[in-house]
Amino acid sequence: MKHLDRYTRTVTLALFLVLLLLATYPMYGEPAVDLFLRLDPLVAIGTSLVSGTLLLAVIPGFIVLVSALIMGRAFCGHVCPMGTTIDLFGKAVPPATKQTAKTNAYESCKDYRHWKYLFLTALTGAAVAGVSLIYWGSPLSLVTRIYGLVLYPLGTLVTENALQIAAPRFFDLGLHQLAFLEIPVKVFATNALVVLIAGGVILASRLQPRFWCRNLCPSGALLGLCSRRPLLRRVVSDDCTRCGQCVKECPTGAIRKDPHTYVPAECIVCNRCVEICPESAVRFHAGRPLPAAEGREIDLGRRGVLAAGVVGLFSAGIVKTDLKQPSAVGSKHPLRAEDLIRPPGALPEPDFLNRCIRCGECMKACPTNTLQPVWLKAGLDGLFSPVLVPRHGACAVNCNVCGRVCPTGAIRSLDLREKNQAKIGTAWIVRQNCLVWEQDKKCLVCDEVCPYNAVAFRPISERKNPVPFVLENRCIGCGWCENKCPVGGASAIRVNIIGEIRLADGSYREKAAEFGLKLKAENHTSDRLGQGTFESTRPSITEEPPKRPEPSEEGKLPGGFIVK
Amino acid sequence: MDFKTDRREFLGKGLAAAGAVLTGAHSGLLGAPAALAAKYPDIAIARGSEIDAMTRAAVDAIGGMKRFVKPGAKVVIKPNMSFARGVGSGSNTNPEVVASVAQMCSEAGASQILVLDNVLHSPEDCLSMSKIPEMCGPVPKTSVSNVRSKRMFREVKVPKGVEFKSMEVISQVLDSDVLIAVPVGKSHGSAGVSLSMKGMMGLIYDRGSFHRRYNLHEAIVDMVTILKPDLVVTDGTRILSEGGPGGPGKVIPLNLVIASDDMVAADAQMVELGTWYGKKFKADQVRHIRIAAERGLGRADISALSVKDFSI
Repeated sequence: MKHLDRYTRTVTLALFLVLLLLATYPMYGEPAVDLFLRLDPLVAIGTSLVSGTLLLAVIPGFIVLVSALIMGRAFCGHVCPMGTTIDLFGKAVPPATKQTAKTNAYESCKDYRHWKYLFLTALTGAAVAGVSLIYWGSPLSLVTRIYGLVLYPLGTLVTENALQIAAPRFFDLGLHQLAFLEIPVKVFATNALVVLIAGGVILASRLQPRFWCRNLCPSGALLGLCSRRPLLRRVVSDDCTRCGQCVKECPTGAIRKDPHTYVPAECIVCNRCVEICPESAVRFHAGRPLPAAEGREIDLGRRGVLAAGVVGLFSAGIVKTDLKQPSAVGSKHPLRAEDLIRPPGALPEPDFLNRCIRCGECMKACPTNTLQPVWLKAGLDGLFSPVLVPRHGACAVNCNVCGRVCPTGAIRSLDLREKNQAKIGTAWIVRQNCLVWEQDKKCLVCDEVCPYNAVAFRPISERKNPVPFVLENRCIGCGWCENKCPVGGASAIRVNIIGEIRLADGSYREKAAEFGLKLKAENHTSDRLGQGTFESTRPSITEEPPKRPEPSEEGKLPGGFIVK
Repeated sequence: MDFKTDRREFLGKGLAAAGAVLTGAHSGLLGAPAALAAKYPDIAIARGSEIDAMTRAAVDAIGGMKRFVKPGAKVVIKPNMSFARGVGSGSNTNPEVVASVAQMCSEAGASQILVLDNVLHSPEDCLSMSKIPEMCGPVPKTSVSNVRSKRMFREVKVPKGVEFKSMEVISQVLDSDVLIAVPVGKSHGSAGVSLSMKGMMGLIYDRGSFHRRYNLHEAIVDMVTILKPDLVVTDGTRILSEGGPGGPGKVIPLNLVIASDDMVAADAQMVELGTWYGKKFKADQVRHIRIAAERGLGRADISALSVKDFSI
C-alpha cells in the first residue's frame, strides 16, 4: 500500500482530536479521553520514577515501550500526534536546503542526535531527585496543549464569529436553532508561551524534517533505547541499485549512505522506503540479522551523560530550593499563594506537582473555563499546573470531569457525591470592596448564587442593610460568589485556600464529616449546567414538587406585595 | 414588534375607548376603532380540563388569533421555561398552552413563530423538561430557542423609563410584528407574582441589574413600556402559589386559561383568581401591577372591566 503511514497517522490524529473534543462536560461514560497521554513512554517512566510508585494509569506507556523491542519506533511513525502535527505544519516550513541522499544520510545529519538522549538523561536526573520536569519534553503533553489550549480556543472564537456573521442568513433560511446557537469562547493563560514552544518545534523543521523527532524528543529517545535491535528489521535485497531514493526520502534520516544499512533507533518504521523503492528491494522483516555496521550508534560519551544527569539534578535542586516549593525541607508552612486553588480531588500539593504532566486536558475539559495554567504563582515547581480562577469562572456543582480526564491521577477521579464534599477553599469577604459593608447598599448576589447556602446576611447596628457573612463550614470554595459579585474589578468576596481538603486516598465525604463540614449543594444551577446527566447529590427533579412548609407567616411576604 | 407603524397606539386608543364604553361613558360618538374593540370583552377566562380547547376558547372570546396575527406576520411567543423542572412543578408554562397558541398563530397565517426565553437553568434541561419544544415541534413555522449570547440583543431606547433610559432586547423580538406573552401564574420571591409583565425580563439581556441597581417594580414597568405584549394568554391550569419563581413550592390547580389584549388587566385578573403565599390579594396590592396601571399602561381595576368567564 502506498503511503501507509499517511493513513495510519490520519486515523490516529483524528482519534486523538476526537478524544480531546470528548474531554468536555457533559462526558458520557468513561471514553478514555486521556488514552494518548497515557501512551507516552516518558509519562509512564517519568511519573512513576518521580512519584516512586508504578502507576496503573500509565501502563499503556510501558506497553508502548516494550513494543519497541518488537517493532522499533513504530509509535513515532504511526501513532504520535506530535509527529503528525509537525509534518502537517511542516508542509508550510520545508527544509531550508533541499534534501538529497547526501544531506539526509544518517552520517551527514547525526550532529544533534545525541541531544534527545541527553535531554532524557537530564529529565531522568530531575525525576530521580523528585522533581517532575517531563512536561518540558513529553510530546503528548505538548501536543495536547497545542490543540487544547491554543487551537481549540481559536476554533471557538472563529466559529462564534462565523455564526455571528451567518446568523441573519440562518434566519432567512428558517434555521432558527442555528441562528440562536452560541459557542462559548474559551480563553487560556500562557497560551502565547505554548505557541512559542510549539513554533520552535515546528520551525526547527527548517533545519531538518522532523527535527524534534530526530534530535530532541525524550520519548523518542526512550523508544530508541529499546529499538537498538528490534525484531522487525529493515531488509534490503540484492535488487538494490543504490539509487539513494530511500536515503533521500527517509523522514528521520535513519538510512546510512550505504542504503543497505540503517539505524533502527532512528527509524520510525513509516514504511516509506519500502513504498518508494523503484526496485521493490526494501521490506521490513522479522528476525533478520543486522549487518555489523547497523549496531553501532552514536557514542554519547560518559562525559555527556554525566553532565546531562548533573544538569537534571541541579535543576531539581533549584526547584527544590525555590521559595514557593511546597515540600521544602523544614518549612512547616510552605509559602503558598492564598488564591492558588487546586481542582477538587487534586492530590496533596507535592504529590500533585509530581504527578501533573501539565497536559492541559483538565483545562480543555472544564466547562466554565475556570481551570487555567499558572505561570509562576505556584513557584518553579508549579509552572503551567492547573488552578481555579473563580473571577473568570466558578466550579460547576454538577461537573467532575477534571478528575475523570486526568491521565496520571494528579486530580483524583471522584464521583459527584465525593466531589461535592471535596473542599477546595473558603470564601471570605473583602469588606472594603463590598457594596453592603462599605456603601450600605442593598445587594444579595453572593447569597443568591451560592449553591451551598454558605452566605448569610445578618443585621448589624452600624448598617441599614443586613451584611453578608460566610459560613465557613458550609463553603466548599466553588467560587460562584466571587464570579458573580457585581463590583467592578476584583471581587468583594474571594476564595482562598483556607480549609482546603487534599487527600491522597480515602473518602472526602468522611473527611468532611470528620471536620464537621456541612457541605450541601442546593437544587440550584447558577452554573447553567445540565442536571441529571450524572448521579447527583441534589434531589432529583420529579413531576410533583416536594412538600414545602405551609404558607409563610405574614411579614415574610415578598417585597412585591403591598400589605395594608 | 414593528415600531414604525402606529398599530400599538391604535390598539391602545381602541382599548381606552372600549373601557369608556364599558364604564358607561358611551356617547354614540365613538369612531370605528372603538366600535371594533368594543366587540370583545377585556378579559376572557376559559375554565375546563381540555387545555387546548380552553386556550382556543379564551383567545376566541376576545376576537380570535386573526385579530392579532395578520397573514405573513412574524410572531414572538414568550413563555416561561427558565427552570429545569417538570410540567407539574408550575415553574414553567404548560407546554400544551404554548403549543396551542403557536398553532393558532400558524393557522392565522404567521410567517414565523419564535418561542423565545433567556433561561436560568441549563438550557438543554430547561428545554427538554419544560416539554415546550416537544409540544411545539409539530406546529408549522415554529421554533423554540434559548437566547443568551450578547450578539442576539440590541439596544433600544426607553423614553418613558423612570429607572433606566435604554435596555438591550433580543433583536428578533424588536424585529417581530406581534408579541404574545404566555406566562404561567406563579409567585415570585421579589416581585410577589411573575406574570406577563415580569416575564418579559426573559427577553432582555441584563436582568441582573433589575434586582441590583434599580427598583425592581419600577424597572419592570419601564421595560413593558417597550415590551408590551399584543396579546396575553395566561396559563392558570395550575399555579405555583409559593416558592416561585423557580420552585419547588405549593402548586394549586385552577384549571383555567386567561386571555386579554391588556397585559395589566390579564395580570391583575390572575392575581385575584389565585392564592399567593396562603393569601388572597387585590391586583393593586402588587407593586408593579399598581405602578403599570398608574403609568397608564393598562387597567388593573378588574371590577370595572368586562370579563367573560365561562366553562367549556
